[in-house]
Amino acid sequence: MNFNLLLSFSVIVCLLGLAFQFSKWFTSGISPRPLPSLSARVTNGIKAITTTFFSGKLINVIQSFFVDILFQKRIFTKSVLRWTTHTLIFTGFVLLFLFHALSDTITASLFSDFQPTLNPYLFLRNLFGFMVITGLALAVYRRISGKKQRLKSATADWAALILIAAIMFSGVLLEASKMSSYSTYQRMIEDYSSFSDDTEEKALEAFWVKENGLVSPHFKELPSSELVAAGREINADSCLDCHASNKTAFLSYSLASVMGPILGSGDGSSQVKIFYALHIFACLAFLCWLPFSKMFHMVSAPINLVIKNVTQDQYSGRSNSLNSQMIGLSACTHCGSCSTECSSNMFYEYFDNDFILPSEKVQYLKKIAAKQIISPEVIKKLQEGLYVCTSCDRCTTVCPSGINLKELFINARYSLLQEGPPETALLSHFSFPLALAQNFVDDHLMALKKVTDIFKSTFTTLADKTEPLTIGHDLYQANNSYSSCYSCQRCTNICPVVRSYDNPAEQLGLLPHQIMYSLGIGDLNLALSSQMIWNCSTCYLCQEHCPNNVELCDIFYGLKNKAIQTIKAGANS
Amino acid sequence: MRYAFFEGCNIPIRIQQYSSSMRTVLEKFNVTLEKIDDFNCCGYPARNVDETAYFLPSMRNMAIAEKKQLDIFVICNCCFASLQKTKNILDTNRALRDKLNLILQKEGLTYTGKTEIKHFLTVLHDDLGVELIRSKLTLNFKDLRLAVIQGCHILRPREITRFDDAFIPQITDTLLGTLGISKLDWQGKLECCGAALAGINNDLSKKLLQEKLDGAQTAGADYIMPICSYCYLQFDTAQKELSEENNHDELLPVLLFPQLLGLCLGIEAQHLGLTENRTITTANVDQLLALLAPPEEDKKKRKKKAVTA
Repeated sequence: MNFNLLLSFSVIVCLLGLAFQFSKWFTSGISPRPLPSLSARVTNGIKAITTTFFSGKLINVIQSFFVDILFQKRIFTKSVLRWTTHTLIFTGFVLLFLFHALSDTITASLFSDFQPTLNPYLFLRNLFGFMVITGLALAVYRRISGKKQRLKSATADWAALILIAAIMFSGVLLEASKMSSYSTYQRMIEDYSSFSDDTEEKALEAFWVKENGLVSPHFKELPSSELVAAGREINADSCLDCHASNKTAFLSYSLASVMGPILGSGDGSSQVKIFYALHIFACLAFLCWLPFSKMFHMVSAPINLVIKNVTQDQYSGRSNSLNSQMIGLSACTHCGSCSTECSSNMFYEYFDNDFILPSEKVQYLKKIAAKQIISPEVIKKLQEGLYVCTSCDRCTTVCPSGINLKELFINARYSLLQEGPPETALLSHFSFPLALAQNFVDDHLMALKKVTDIFKSTFTTLADKTEPLTIGHDLYQANNSYSSCYSCQRCTNICPVVRSYDNPAEQLGLLPHQIMYSLGIGDLNLALSSQMIWNCSTCYLCQEHCPNNVELCDIFYGLKNKAIQTIKAGANS
Repeated sequence: MRYAFFEGCNIPIRIQQYSSSMRTVLEKFNVTLEKIDDFNCCGYPARNVDETAYFLPSMRNMAIAEKKQLDIFVICNCCFASLQKTKNILDTNRALRDKLNLILQKEGLTYTGKTEIKHFLTVLHDDLGVELIRSKLTLNFKDLRLAVIQGCHILRPREITRFDDAFIPQITDTLLGTLGISKLDWQGKLECCGAALAGINNDLSKKLLQEKLDGAQTAGADYIMPICSYCYLQFDTAQKELSEENNHDELLPVLLFPQLLGLCLGIEAQHLGLTENRTITTANVDQLLALLAPPEEDKKKRKKKAVTA
């Protein structure tokens, strides 16, 4: 098929894909509030860019270009091995793209004497290829040897590695097969040579067989050194001006010298064709695949890093906050750095919910932003995952792409709480940093009301307070120290929560000593129905002051666990 | 001395000056606090939800320290209590220990219970000792009216925390005494800052905080010093919000122990992150510096020494 046709097709696919991705930056978003209009988002985006360029912030852009994008400091500070791997692939690949793939446009216009067969170009092409291949080898090594816990990106990673490897190896094999190919050699001779006699022609061929990896049907054995020496002179006179020694293309030459007979068998023309097709196909496939895969980070991550450097995660208004959020989402490579360092990692292990890991949340938030339909079960798990977060912000600190995960998760959390089922984890100390940060205060209170209501309705039904108290058989077994309670009420008298209410018995449902009493008479639901347990400040004064060593505060914790289990079981039944 | 430094989740992102001033101060005593990136949350936030989920994270942290053959050095009271509670449970409940060890073994960790959990006050008071600290002090405070809030979770339940006398705690006051800061009795010193209720019952949380602020101010405190990072955030961050709600009540400025100790060791204020405390102004720093003077050798003590010698 026509190369230009294929190339045009791939470029169009790539451009359309990029346009689609860019449009999402300004149209989608995750927020508990309605999204601003497209025009507001674009206008504010442009405004922010212009302000940056006409203010002292330009220096940040320049600094970020060198430090974050070219040097990739964020990766360097986390792991030197990982940085080496990424830098080798990144540098080699970008340089090959600019000076080899775009050689007609870029290299030729920069260097007037450019010839792909001359040095330093011939050598550098191999050097860059070598860098990428070494990087790929390190990447494979990292994945096989040091497989970290809670790393979940395997499939997409391998796909990217395999595609880049396909480009690199097909390229090296193409060059090696050209070196060995007799037909390629003949074409060069026809195009460029003017021999005075056959001996010259034979001498030159002998030299290329000996020194440049050519496989010729005329030389089954290695040619004699006199012939090679004669060929060397002709080569110096006629060829060297346009074609440097193949040995400087060290990768391809080594391959050609090892695999020459295979690569150049026959006249080698079919091998050249095959590897050319493979190389072109791999490159164009990569181009088409780029906007739709993790490789889009080549575009979005640098932009996101610059934004981070300039804004320091403080945005001018909601439009730009959402624009940055979407750029950030598209910059995630699912590398798992956030999840390996997530402070909630053991909650993930215990609750068996992938969404507790930040990297897994992000993959689904991409879907939510794209308005894909997600089942209520998944939403519920995602909501829990968003809530079981210690707000340590480590994910945001370590993300190599500089994604503002913290803000993304805050928005997602309250966005989901608005629509989703009541979230029991709200009634935990995970809420402390959220209250401190004062984000979406009203949304928090509404979600809190939703979950408190479900507790009230569940346990008021279970514990009918209009009936007289009777001895029940519902014993609380997790901690039976309540059986020593003799109702001296010291716990209630010392409780800072009880004293904070004008009418505590009514407002808190049951007082601490009454809860112990409910347990004592075997009425667990009565104890669970009390608002007191959720308002316990966990100060342990009651427990410390109890003359009979009743572990009140510990029992309250146990009752809270039990109440949450009951609600969850009810929701799942 | 070398410890595995457990900073928890709040300190590295919200109270960096607590750990940085702690490091600066402990360097003077040749104590190395090793930063361990692998540490995770102590489990505390999950305690209302599921008690076993609350144990597992602390267990992993202790297993990591155990692998490094280090004891754990903790600043935050809630982290301290979680680690101590977990240790206590795992050392008595072998079945639970074995069950949870299966999860840790996936990453080559095992908990056997060799690591000790040390609150920074214990390290200063017992491991270094008051005399050693006193010998390094170049300055002392004169008339600093400081209210200490101990925080619930280092004192109670005493069988678990095994830190100090739960009713009449001495350690903090003794350490402050060496800095020339005399004990200030105030209503609420041993009580709750309200942090555990923030986000669950904000009104009650603020009420408890206000009660402590009033108690300290009534007793004439010019500054308050929380030990726990949760108390700190209540006093330093939530107090500001509370003051805005209450027609801009005057703020009770908040200090941290290593900052005070650092000043007495002659470390410059800017190396102790004092102004990173949101309630501390440069005027406060100047006032604190003005209260510092070289320690006078106590005559009575000198006499005592002579007698005992």
